[in-house]
Amino acid sequence: MPDPTPQVSLTIDGRPVTVPKGTLIVEAAKLIGVEIPVFCYHHKLDPVGACRLCLVELSPGPPRAQTACTTPVAEGMAVRVTSPMAVKSRADILEFELTNHPLDCPVCDKGGECPLQDFTYRHGYPVSRVQEARLHFAKPLPISDRIALDRERCVLCYRCTRYYDEVAWEQELTTNQRGVQSYIATQFDQPLQSVFSGNIIDLCPVGALTSRVWRFQSRPWDMDHTASICSRCAVGCNVNLWERRGELMRVTARENDEIDDGWICDRGRFEYTHVNSPERLTQPLVQRRPAAWEGALSRIAAGIKGRGPRLGVSIPADITNEEAFLLARLLNGPLRGARVVMQGRTSLPAPPLNQLAIKDLDGCHTILVVASDVRADAPIVNLRVKKAVAKSGARLLTVNPELIDFDRHPGVEHVAYEPGHAAAAVRKLFDHPLLQQGPVGILYGDSAGSEDGAAIATAVAWLAKEIGAKVMPLYRATNERGVLAFGILNGDSLDGCEYVLTWGQALAVPKGVRFLACWDDFARPYHDRAQVVIPATTFAEDQGSYTNLEGRVQFLVPPLQPRPPLRQGWEVLQDLGLALGLASDYLGIFQVQRDAAAAYPAQAALAVPPAPAPTAAPVAMGAARP
Amino acid sequence: MPAATELRGSHGKAAGPVLTKDFGTADLHKLGVYEKVGGYQAWRKALTTMQPAEVTGEVKASGLRGRGGAGFPTGTKWGFLPPPDGGPRYVVVNADESEPGTAKDRYLMENHPHQLVEGILIACYAIQAHHAWIYIRGEYDLQHDMIAAAIAEARAAGYLGEQPLGKDFPIDIHLYRGHGAYICGEETALLESLEGKRAQPRSRPPFPAVKGAWGRPTLLNNVETLSTLPWIISNGGAAYAKFGTEKSPGTRLFTVSGDVQRPGNYEMELGKPFSHLINDLAGGPFPGHSIKVWWPGGCSAPVLTGEMLETPSDMESLAAVGSMGGSGGVIVADDRRCVVRCAYRLLQFYAHESCGKCTPCRVGGDWAVRTYERVLEGEGTAADLATFDRIQTGLAAGRCLCGLGDSAGWVIQWTMERFRDEYEEHILHHTCSVEAGARA
Amino acid sequence: MKLSDHTLKEIRELPPKYPHIRSAVMPALDLAQEELGMLTQEAMTQVAQALQVDPGYVEGVATFYSLFHLEPVGKHHLYVCNNLSCQLRGAEELLTHIKQSIGVSEYGQVSADGLFSVEPVECLGACEYAPMLRADHRFHYDLTPATIDALLKEWRGHGDGKKARKEAHPRAGSH
Repeated sequence: MPDPTPQVSLTIDGRPVTVPKGTLIVEAAKLIGVEIPVFCYHHKLDPVGACRLCLVELSPGPPRAQTACTTPVAEGMAVRVTSPMAVKSRADILEFELTNHPLDCPVCDKGGECPLQDFTYRHGYPVSRVQEARLHFAKPLPISDRIALDRERCVLCYRCTRYYDEVAWEQELTTNQRGVQSYIATQFDQPLQSVFSGNIIDLCPVGALTSRVWRFQSRPWDMDHTASICSRCAVGCNVNLWERRGELMRVTARENDEIDDGWICDRGRFEYTHVNSPERLTQPLVQRRPAAWEGALSRIAAGIKGRGPRLGVSIPADITNEEAFLLARLLNGPLRGARVVMQGRTSLPAPPLNQLAIKDLDGCHTILVVASDVRADAPIVNLRVKKAVAKSGARLLTVNPELIDFDRHPGVEHVAYEPGHAAAAVRKLFDHPLLQQGPVGILYGDSAGSEDGAAIATAVAWLAKEIGAKVMPLYRATNERGVLAFGILNGDSLDGCEYVLTWGQALAVPKGVRFLACWDDFARPYHDRAQVVIPATTFAEDQGSYTNLEGRVQFLVPPLQPRPPLRQGWEVLQDLGLALGLASDYLGIFQVQRDAAAAYPAQAALAVPPAPAPTAAPVAMGAARP
Repeated sequence: MPAATELRGSHGKAAGPVLTKDFGTADLHKLGVYEKVGGYQAWRKALTTMQPAEVTGEVKASGLRGRGGAGFPTGTKWGFLPPPDGGPRYVVVNADESEPGTAKDRYLMENHPHQLVEGILIACYAIQAHHAWIYIRGEYDLQHDMIAAAIAEARAAGYLGEQPLGKDFPIDIHLYRGHGAYICGEETALLESLEGKRAQPRSRPPFPAVKGAWGRPTLLNNVETLSTLPWIISNGGAAYAKFGTEKSPGTRLFTVSGDVQRPGNYEMELGKPFSHLINDLAGGPFPGHSIKVWWPGGCSAPVLTGEMLETPSDMESLAAVGSMGGSGGVIVADDRRCVVRCAYRLLQFYAHESCGKCTPCRVGGDWAVRTYERVLEGEGTAADLATFDRIQTGLAAGRCLCGLGDSAGWVIQWTMERFRDEYEEHILHHTCSVEAGARA
Repeated sequence: MKLSDHTLKEIRELPPKYPHIRSAVMPALDLAQEELGMLTQEAMTQVAQALQVDPGYVEGVATFYSLFHLEPVGKHHLYVCNNLSCQLRGAEELLTHIKQSIGVSEYGQVSADGLFSVEPVECLGACEYAPMLRADHRFHYDLTPATIDALLKEWRGHGDGKKARKEAHPRAGSH
């Protein structure tokens, strides 16, 4: 289908570029690698033209500089980024920005990746001409236990408050006062509560909002990072994992418009410090004594082999597809009949065929949310629903016992039901006026486990068929959908099992088990009862993939190597299989992936290597400085 | 409700031909009195005998230009609204008069509220809006209540409501109070405030005509502009255009304040020289003093000197001498006043009223204030002349999001341009011969 | 200080008057300040809850506009214009006189008897009557130290205050 948007041709500093009508000058310049500096502009927020740093000269145009972030392209327009007027305008703005800035770069965490620093260097005056004393604010100010605010460094671009209002639909972070007295503040100086708060750190173009978790840990240029996947829930947000000297230093968002739109939640951003903990288990233990892997795995094999339904296996929420495949081989062989439970999962059954992709939400006429506030189950999908409503005009219908955060938005319709009767409420919706025009997308959960997920899924499937909707089950466990594809889950608890293997933190280990083996990254109280304990890797060391809640397979790219004797999960499972008498000769994880893809068509994507991330155009600089 | 207080300005025999022609009539704010002087006849004429486009045509023919500050042709502005699409569209009345030295909208509202209400009705009909919102500054308590009373009277008399004058064109007029922010006089900041937000101007496009109040097509006009409409509709655009000059037709209500003997609000034909307004109508300077400096259209219009009093009051003549018509608030200061100190006071104003959204205005105004403070305390250095110049360039040159930054920059630029010797005296010699002379 | 049920009821009735609920925030804050004399954190939180917005939003709005008081003010809060037109006609001297008369050293400070506070404000749009002030929702014109004294005396309950020319009291009007 041809692109219905007409194209517009213009030149930027003499270089031709053709872009769709309506494109902002600042975006057109990005395409050909011309740097137009910005603070307030962010491609995921509405343009506001506040910082005035993107001033350029236009012809035809008025005899004064114009903001490239708010001006759309026009046919035949000549944009001059490096004309004397444009260069001086921007340098003047930067001088104003620095009038009250403390210039404390040597002790600022942003140093090295700070747009204010970089732009001043590339677009500002070479020397400071400001004589006046600088304005002072108390600093630094903790605005939650994870984020610090330094108001002296703030350039009031309002990215953080606009993000809160536009994207997260919350106003616990706002601007107080006005004029030069303006400052960013949390409501009544209370700590931020939002599960989406950390994105303001990524958004801040200066060192005003910094991570207290990462604070003073390392310099940006001292770190390497890998393009990986978040392991905290089933959304599969793309992240960068930052490493220095074998430690995981921080987690930041890595924009993937099809999934996360550039945002991650605070669980994904801040729940990583355990990776570096000295409390991590590193050594296999047999009867609490250090042992070699072979001995430990033999003891486990002896304890769990041939136990049939008397064996219970608890697997972690973030088990990879590869691990699940290797476990499935054991469960189809020497461990046949065992009960398998997964931590943190919903009661929702295997996925439907008419799957709604996250990116499809943008085009929905109506979005129906059933038995979930989405925020707890699939945080970033909550933001995508808000985006569809606020920016694409989607209508929103929520079906929950109580009002949820979506319902504060004007125009959102809410249908209440008696707890325990979600499925019945869904069936009554077939003639709801909002559902008569497509496309309709239905998101459904199980009300944090309090509703019968299978009944809801059946009701939603019926409704979707009636009205022609696509659906998205809101799985909670990171790889719940991937594990469902291997068909190994068959229980909700380990109650009654006499022989137990726990992997990761198990909810409840029954009393009086005859054999207990634990595979874990940290010691737990019930490990005292275990005959064998073996150490587990984390998302920062583990190879493998997750299938997210929309069915997309994505691969972990671990920034850290497991420190011996720690071993990759798939290696441990292969060796456990050998100890159980199952032949296996995988030399690397790719062979596991190929076999898994061949054996389970739903997981065919495991054999498809991920596309390399696109690289940005090189940035043209030089003459921009006055 | 009684009228405010002693009238100062055009009334009685000195009343002007358009806006203040009935001023001095007792109880003019009451509907019955207003009707006796021809009130609501223009509304009747427009609604019952004219098509909306004809109303707009008369306004275009009158050549009326907005009296809020920018001086944009009113009829042309009305034409920017897209055709009705069935959804709401609004007339928003800018009654947030806050430009220093400007009191004429207050004068119109408290003495002649029905004239404004009639003008609003005419504008609503012309652009096919069924709701008007009057955004009135919060300090105008009496004026708020006068207008509320006038709306109630007009509603009771059937001039507005579900079926004004029996016609099927429902109109309602609502009042919304500001809460102390000069920036709300800027039309997009006003809209933000009307929507219940912090009043920070919006980036344009989209313009309010397309996406204004609550995201809908909106016409914004000032109180004086709308108050002129009944006369134009009654007498015809051509009759109005006979007043004034070709490009600045009509009359205008000027506020004259400061060092004059009869401060007040005077309606004067555009094109007449300011000497007539300041000397003849406002009584001129106090005996023994001469006018040294004056602002022709609020403090945001670049400053002029006492030698320039013969400048004609039309917008083109003002532009020719480097200033503008602005709000019509004429501030006069005599030979006792130090221009640097006046400029300092005005920069304090702009810094205090900066909304803080855009960088140059937020930082530049404050930087200027701190520099003025240092200079006035006798701690200036030769570098400060360049500093003032740098701040002024950064503020003005159209770099700010709205006009407030330009206005602040112009105060520095034009006081320096016209009174550089006073600046140099302060900065280089740390003295002020003006104030020393005034004290002596 | 918290809002009365009566005020909260009035606030809850505001939203239908406006096309969007946020437009009700300032009128609601008006009602709150009218009752309490200032905006307390509790009151702003109550307003937020009544209008189903976050308290942070209300706080951001309240701190932007200079007519909202987040600190206590006197029973009679005097807004004295000292922009250029009034300054040229003696507003600074008046401000000094008022501070001395009510016994405060700082603007915004409340007099010991709780009756008065004073702040200089930007142009109030009554320049032809300069110098002037606003207090208790009304303007007072053509001020001199003598008329200020008369006003203060009236507010202290000892005199008629007629010497200051003033506009009619809007809240006591005939409608």
